[in-house]
Amino acid sequence: MSIYYLTKNSWKRLLSGLTETCDIYVLKECNGSLSYELLVKESLSSDEIVFGGVRAVQSVKSFFHLYAEDVSKVKSQPRKRIIVGVKACDLTALAVMDKMFMEGDCVDPFYKMKRDNTVIITSDCTKPNNYCFCTLLGNKPYSEKGFDLNISQSKDGFIVEVGSDKGKALVDGNRSIFGGEAKENLNEDRVKSREKVLEKVKQINAEFNLKAGFWNDLSKKHNSPGWKTESEMCVECGACTNVCPSCYCFLLADIPGKDDFSRMKYQDSCQYSGYARVAGGASPRPEIHERFRNRYLCKYEYRPASLDLVACTGCGRCIEACQGKIDKRKVLAGILKK
Amino acid sequence: MDKNIYKPIEAVVEKVITETSNIKTFVLKPEEEILFKTGQFIELTVPGFGEGPFTPSSSPYETDRIEVTIMDVGKLTGKLHAMKQGAKVGIRGPYGNGYPVEQFYNKEVLILGGGVGMAPLRSFLLTLLKESERFKKIILCYGSKTPGDVVYKDSFPTWKKEKNLRILRSVDKADKGWKETEGLVTVLLDKVKPNLKNGVAIVCGPPIMMKFGTFKLLEVGYKPEQIYLSMERNMSCGLGKCGHCGLGKYYVCKDGPVFTYDMIKDIPEVWA
Repeated sequence: MSIYYLTKNSWKRLLSGLTETCDIYVLKECNGSLSYELLVKESLSSDEIVFGGVRAVQSVKSFFHLYAEDVSKVKSQPRKRIIVGVKACDLTALAVMDKMFMEGDCVDPFYKMKRDNTVIITSDCTKPNNYCFCTLLGNKPYSEKGFDLNISQSKDGFIVEVGSDKGKALVDGNRSIFGGEAKENLNEDRVKSREKVLEKVKQINAEFNLKAGFWNDLSKKHNSPGWKTESEMCVECGACTNVCPSCYCFLLADIPGKDDFSRMKYQDSCQYSGYARVAGGASPRPEIHERFRNRYLCKYEYRPASLDLVACTGCGRCIEACQGKIDKRKVLAGILKK
Repeated sequence: MDKNIYKPIEAVVEKVITETSNIKTFVLKPEEEILFKTGQFIELTVPGFGEGPFTPSSSPYETDRIEVTIMDVGKLTGKLHAMKQGAKVGIRGPYGNGYPVEQFYNKEVLILGGGVGMAPLRSFLLTLLKESERFKKIILCYGSKTPGDVVYKDSFPTWKKEKNLRILRSVDKADKGWKETEGLVTVLLDKVKPNLKNGVAIVCGPPIMMKFGTFKLLEVGYKPEQIYLSMERNMSCGLGKCGHCGLGKYYVCKDGPVFTYDMIKDIPEVWA
């Protein structure tokens, strides 16, 4: 696909113009983390917007799979959306969500409508934190496919790569800004910075003895005593699944008092004791360590088997959010070693 | 715009049949025809309250009405039990795979049912009886807690007249009037000489009965691939998306609810 070079000013001019017709979400720093915020034109003149950095606190799934959503009626979204600064870990996770909600014989119209209406502009990760572990999963801190546009910081601007028809349409609609494809070979620069970040993530995770493909061995560890010991600090808060970019579980609940089948769809968590409860009160996973194990097996054994995708992309949010300071990498390394 | 997969079709409760002290059968007339395969399930909604998965107990050949037999065990089933003729409910579905009836042709079919687990099995039995000559033999082993807990009391006399069907019943605790077996449903398996070479066993009942029923069938000599289980899980969306009915790599609502024991025997937490 095509590659363009835009100076920082041209890039901002592009976003400024797009705010007329689209809701644009960009990354801003907030208490030491990055967070998506709706872009207002005025803030483009400041340096508040972060185009690189690390993945945001909230995963990109929060734009498509809401914490709470009225699913009584499919309504179209009035304005197009552009999300800028999505990191590779989130984009890879979005593939899991897409497969769950948009493929197969039944499509979730609420998810699909939002997904179709949104342009995803990924950016290379430049500042991985200590929770990041994409490399342990064989992933990279930059996107090579699946995005609409990807931006990589270079010199005083951005290398913009087009990754889809949606991305191409955005470029075509703004030819005056994009001009022609980059003539200069910018790739060398990009490769260098990408390699540097990749090495950094590897370094962060050097202490964990895990190699991509480790998940294939988990099927032999269903009965490991490690599930019990490792889950001792779990308080069943469900933060790990809530912040996870690829956890898709939800609950349908009828709106009380309405008799027209109006209903809500809420995010749910397999860590909650009532989650798998069947009529009469029995549960296939009554114990906390069984629910804890289920999250790992779902991500590393069950979804690879049913979707052909590992449902963890190493964003590390579950480690960062854990109230019990449980580090998934340590859990996996420990259980696979024993 | 794509169809709203979460929205039910309206249906009316046409009749409520009291089966036992805590089990009722609801005859539902949906606004649109809902065609199902025996063993598939529906999501039944009490408007403004909630929905849950139930497998129709009626024959799939009856196309303008659907019957569901429900035990009062919780909030939703309690609300359903309070419903009277003419009440409005919602139906989504049918969902899941259903019983592979064609695969049972020319075989002996042993049905092992417990309690309200007889509901999907009645639908299954009615399907088999529609073309009973296609099966070598049909054996129904049905267990209830007490004689008062036996469902479909009116149907048994008719079924007993069926040539190709043998019926064995047990109750955990008999009373003076009970002339059949006393004991757990698994004891009935000692009374039949199953055709292990050319037979299948179909199991449905409460989780504990499914577990020990399966173990007993294995003990009798059935192979895991000959045992068909209608698995109980919390099927919430019915579409293979919401996650609640996960059973290893499967979603019971989409890949099941009918599984051979062979498919699921190595999964942790098979039995609820």
